[in-house]
Amino acid sequence: MIPLELNILLASVMFTIGLYGLFTQRNGIKLMMCIELLLNSANINLVAFSAYQPNVNGQVFALFSIALAAAEAAVGFAILIALYRLYGTIDLDNINAMRW
Amino acid sequence: MYQDYAYLIVALPVLAFLLCIFIGWRLPRGGGILTVLATFAGLILSLGIFMEIYPDGIVHQSMPWFANFNIGILIDPLALVMLLMVTFVVTLIHTYALGYMKGDPGAARYFAEAALFTAAMLGLIYADNLLQLFIFWELVGLCSYLLIGFWYRKPSAAAAAKKAFLTTRIGDLCFLAAIILLYNNLASLNLNLGPNEYLLQFPVIYANIAQIPPAQLTLIALGLLGGAIGKSGQFPLHVWLPDAMEGPTTVSAMIHAATMVTAGVYLVARMFPLFYAAPHALQIVAIIGAFTAIFAATMGLTAFDIKRVLAFSTVSQLGFMMAGLGAGAAVGVMAVGVAIFHLIGHSFFKALLFLCSGSVIHAVNTNDMREMGGIGKYMKWTMYTMLIGSLSLAGFPFFTGFFSKDEIIVIEYEYGMVINFLPYIFLILAATLTAIYTFRMWFSVFTGKPRSDYNKHESPWIMLAPLVILSVFALAFGFVAQGSFYSYLDSNFEHYDVNFKELGVIGGHVSSEIHLAGEQIAAEAEGHEKPAEEHSSETAHGESGEAEHMPAEPWYIQILPIFIALGGILLAGLFYWDRIKKFDADQVTGEKDPIRIMLLKGYYQHEILTAWFAEHFVYGVSLLSNVIDIKLVDGWLNWLSAWVLGFGGHVRKVQTGVVQNYITAIALGVVVLVVAIEVIKVVIL
Repeated sequence: MIPLELNILLASVMFTIGLYGLFTQRNGIKLMMCIELLLNSANINLVAFSAYQPNVNGQVFALFSIALAAAEAAVGFAILIALYRLYGTIDLDNINAMRW
Repeated sequence: MYQDYAYLIVALPVLAFLLCIFIGWRLPRGGGILTVLATFAGLILSLGIFMEIYPDGIVHQSMPWFANFNIGILIDPLALVMLLMVTFVVTLIHTYALGYMKGDPGAARYFAEAALFTAAMLGLIYADNLLQLFIFWELVGLCSYLLIGFWYRKPSAAAAAKKAFLTTRIGDLCFLAAIILLYNNLASLNLNLGPNEYLLQFPVIYANIAQIPPAQLTLIALGLLGGAIGKSGQFPLHVWLPDAMEGPTTVSAMIHAATMVTAGVYLVARMFPLFYAAPHALQIVAIIGAFTAIFAATMGLTAFDIKRVLAFSTVSQLGFMMAGLGAGAAVGVMAVGVAIFHLIGHSFFKALLFLCSGSVIHAVNTNDMREMGGIGKYMKWTMYTMLIGSLSLAGFPFFTGFFSKDEIIVIEYEYGMVINFLPYIFLILAATLTAIYTFRMWFSVFTGKPRSDYNKHESPWIMLAPLVILSVFALAFGFVAQGSFYSYLDSNFEHYDVNFKELGVIGGHVSSEIHLAGEQIAAEAEGHEKPAEEHSSETAHGESGEAEHMPAEPWYIQILPIFIALGGILLAGLFYWDRIKKFDADQVTGEKDPIRIMLLKGYYQHEILTAWFAEHFVYGVSLLSNVIDIKLVDGWLNWLSAWVLGFGGHVRKVQTGVVQNYITAIALGVVVLVVAIEVIKVVIL
């Protein structure tokens, strides 16, 4: 059995990568991918804790979370496609119609 | 059987209104025939009800509405004669309008509004409670506004409509205040009401007047009088009525002569027991009415617009009616019969006169009498029907106006015996002036030589037929109906629980010793209280017939009105009839005569009300309010909104539009949150 610490380490590394991507990237799709990383690191935590503390609830929540992530991705990509049609780019620096 | 359908009297014109306003433009002549038929059905129904309940029945139907109010129908003699008059006169006027409005692009709108007006007026008449009456009263005011401004593209018509609406609004406010006061007073009595009785129902009001404090009664009566003054164009709220002549002539005939303006008189008659019980109220009614009568008559003397002459005469005649009601202070409830008789007769001959003037205007295309003259040669029917109307208005013996006006002058004399002669003197002078200005108008329109080049043709038969029918009534109604009318109207309040003797004591019209000592002394009592006491005891006990109870006036008082009428007509003839012309108005008074100029300018009302009051006083007050409004009321609000705007202007810079900034903020926020939670844990635990 893989020790719990390794699971948590993996999750935090994934989370940090995702956060770093969010801070640095400009491309909409890359941002979506980073968000997926954040979500999945949280899922790993849920599953890991659920496995070490015999209780299936965490895994159930992970499943819910995956389903929600799928929905979120669908909406997000739909928005990106719409933005691309409107602006001809998905570079978020150029998409700032709502700024003050 | 007819009384079960009494609601149709209002419902049918409402239906006609809906039909005319929505599909009238597709129907020939704007659907006017619907309005005529609806009103005519009302006349048939009213006649049917009259046949059923004459001479001593009433119709009272009522259903709950909400809380302490109801809607209902109350047809007693007073309401019934009004119903008959309104449906009859308005049917004729609508028929006439079919011809008069022919070809007007707004005919559908005209007939829709006219139908709504008819419904409102009829609803006002047979409302069984004061609130319902008020609702229809307002509706009548609205229709008046709409119809005066019928040619709303004409600035003067739009202004006249606004003036009428605002002026009557002042009166309506008084009326509403009076209703609220009355309701409060009645509610504080904690009455035991029967299953179908409500506080503002007339029978309930009548039965409980005596329990309301007299000071409150006077207040209520003055409020009601305020409403009546506004609606009936009495001084000082008369200013709207002459201007209301901007509407089509049929409107003037229907609303501003025959029906609507009588609503004020009707209200006072309807609430007569309350006025009778309120100290001083009837004296005020009498003096306002009499003053208005002479005031308007003098202005009628100098007006050149044929419709304005008739408008001033309407104001003046309404003053007669009010004064007649006011004379009730001395003669008791018979004043209602006298005033309403004049009201009915007046509506016949005034509608006739207006329709005749409409016929003249229709042909000549001007209102100015200076451009008429000699029209009689070309419009024989109009000339003779108008002659009948004018004779009736002037009080020529044995015409309708003669009987009704005489009776008012006679009871005013009795009032004078008891209280003071001021109203009597005013009315005598007003009656003289009435004869003069009426025949000044008739002579200068129909006799002499044409003073301008006008169209010479008679009006179509659809306009002449109502004239002929109305002239029959203007001629014969007074003579035929006089006796039975008075006794029928005098029986009006016998249907209710009203004790006029008790009310008279409260109002100070009947001295209390006589009241306490009983009727024997009352019969023997000499002097001032006698007529009032005698009459009120008579009506309270339901004995009708008044000829034998009327105190005899000296013979010269009774025949004076005849001489006044004949003298006035002769005087007008000497000035304006070319066959016997002796004087020229310009030579007698001269152009510069101050009185003449004053009358021409209508007592400088325009100068006082518009130029001085409106443009200086009201304008000054408005300027002040404007400053307060802008600097103070708007000021702090503007300051607040400017501050909010400025603050938002700074805060909105947070929205940079750069995604990374937002993420940084979120991440920082999470960090701060985590740190804060840790700190709190350490500090608290």
